[in-house]
Amino acid sequence: MNAPSQLQQPQMYRVKDWMRTHLFNGTGNTILTVLVVLIAGFVLFTVIRFVFIDAEWSVVSVNKRLIFLGRYPKGEEWRLWPPLWAALGLIAAAWGTWSSLSRRDILWLLLAAVFILVFVAHGTEGLLFGGAVVLAAVLYAGVRLSGTDPTMRSRLRLAIIIGWIILLPGTIVIITAFDGVQPALWGGLMLNILLATFGIGFALPLGIALALARSSSLPVVKWFSTAIIEITRGGPLVAWLFIARFVLPAFLPDILNTDVIVNALIIVILFTGAYIAEIVRGGLQSVPPGQREAADALGLSGFNVTVFIILPQALKAVIPALVSQMISLWKDTTLFSILSFTDALGGAKAAFSQAQFVGRQKEALIFIGLIFWAGSFGMSRISRRIEKYLGVGSR
Amino acid sequence: MTDTPSINRVEPIIVCKNVQKHFGEFQALKGINVEVTEGEVVVILGPSGSGKSTFIRTINRLEEHDGGTIVVDGVELDDNVHNIEQIRSEVGMVFQQFNLFPHLSVLRNITLAPQKVRGLSKRDAESEGMQLLERVGIPEQADKFPTQLSGGQQQRVAIARALAMRPKIMLFDEPTSALDPEMIKEVLDVMVELAQSGMTMLVVTHEMGFAREVADRFLFFDAGEIVEEGTPEHFFTNPKEDRTKLFLSQIL
Repeated sequence: MNAPSQLQQPQMYRVKDWMRTHLFNGTGNTILTVLVVLIAGFVLFTVIRFVFIDAEWSVVSVNKRLIFLGRYPKGEEWRLWPPLWAALGLIAAAWGTWSSLSRRDILWLLLAAVFILVFVAHGTEGLLFGGAVVLAAVLYAGVRLSGTDPTMRSRLRLAIIIGWIILLPGTIVIITAFDGVQPALWGGLMLNILLATFGIGFALPLGIALALARSSSLPVVKWFSTAIIEITRGGPLVAWLFIARFVLPAFLPDILNTDVIVNALIIVILFTGAYIAEIVRGGLQSVPPGQREAADALGLSGFNVTVFIILPQALKAVIPALVSQMISLWKDTTLFSILSFTDALGGAKAAFSQAQFVGRQKEALIFIGLIFWAGSFGMSRISRRIEKYLGVGSR
Repeated sequence: MTDTPSINRVEPIIVCKNVQKHFGEFQALKGINVEVTEGEVVVILGPSGSGKSTFIRTINRLEEHDGGTIVVDGVELDDNVHNIEQIRSEVGMVFQQFNLFPHLSVLRNITLAPQKVRGLSKRDAESEGMQLLERVGIPEQADKFPTQLSGGQQQRVAIARALAMRPKIMLFDEPTSALDPEMIKEVLDVMVELAQSGMTMLVVTHEMGFAREVADRFLFFDAGEIVEEGTPEHFFTNPKEDRTKLFLSQIL
């Protein structure tokens, strides 16, 4: 009986000491602490009162389909599930092989899953989504268990990378093939996710290529790349999107001119690529010249020096900036609503424009905000993980 | 000598004729003439800014010379990228700042070039890499990353990395100048062993004990020229030029 109390007492003192040193050390800091607690309490109180008492969430629940799928035709939803399953499975497997979930990660993911199952996905959808979660969990556990062996782990990683590369074109095929749904009818959150994934998937390699070209010693390559970067960055994305809609079709070859979404996507990829190029160029400059000299001195070809020595170090140095560019692209996909696409934001607007939901903008917009925050926060967590993983051997 | 070619005569592996290098207005190398025979250990001395580092960096074209000719193992260094890569794969270099690749493990630092340039399989490159790490005395560090190693260990890895290309010539550019005093010896020991194994070496260093032990010949650089050259014995007992005497009096 004596031992626990002896252990507990210092613990109590520690909490007290911690509070004294971190929260109440001095008059100024004490006032600050009290003030911040008051403000936080007020905000929390307001939010809780709004969410559980004042808010009418029916604007969201009735228009769920509009927000998530826009004008996507009924009866074709089955096409979306396999890509979603594959994406969740791949994220889980990647997380399992390259890293592991912390307790906090698991908590966040559980919260998200419960939220979706309680408020968003019901009935068949609930079952299908629940299945995806179970699949992801099983994959994660399986990969954790079997990935302890190094050769097995490198094989898993290769498989996962191939999976990621197949996922994007695969998704497009599943959605459009066999009398599927053409891009003009894509909408809602699904459109935002597809645009962002496509944008990131193509803008990253484009940006790296532009950065390398701009650092090239060949004048023509350098000028061309510099021109693309500077022209693209010279206008706001909104203006570029209008150009995509009204100007670009006149110039593009017929093969690329199939759809407004494709045109707009090309512009978004160029736009993001230009910013990524400048971020990557900064990274390239941060690699000490001795690295290139040492690699040259070994007789490595210029290509090998770039791919194996310079780029890995340059990219690693700029991961935070790259991820913020990706988060920015993810949020910028809502700009497609000004081109009269019904993306998630467009769906929300359509929802609160309905007669029975007049005055319910708050609920709809807060829900959209929550979705985009969740996506951004998830990317930020993943980026922290990548940084941590690559942190081994940092200079 | 030129009209009576004898069977025993050794062809020089490096031939530099009137090598010049300008940095803008400044002339860093004012016509360097050097021949190095296979297996020879040449130590290059000189005050800082004398052009000694610039000179050894022209031999694998980290610096491009703008006058004269350099022929390494029968291949002339010019703008031909193929020639440059071939010579670089035969000439190893060790830098003052180690320049290990921080994102790669120690073993991967060593195996990358043999796999990409010599075309070795991963397995062969790794077994050769481990042998080299044993030769420089740190096989237990293979899976660590460079920043987890001490300076002396890092420089030994850098030597192993250069040796993994099976070079015919090794260039050392002040290999111990960035090291804490207690780590200098472990690096010099590796270099002495290398010299005794018959490697052709050009070494820029101020470590006179080491130089005296292994050098076949000294070159003394000042203001972009070779002021004096000769055996270590000659330098320690009977240097002729005033500049040489002054320099030696300062560092000995």
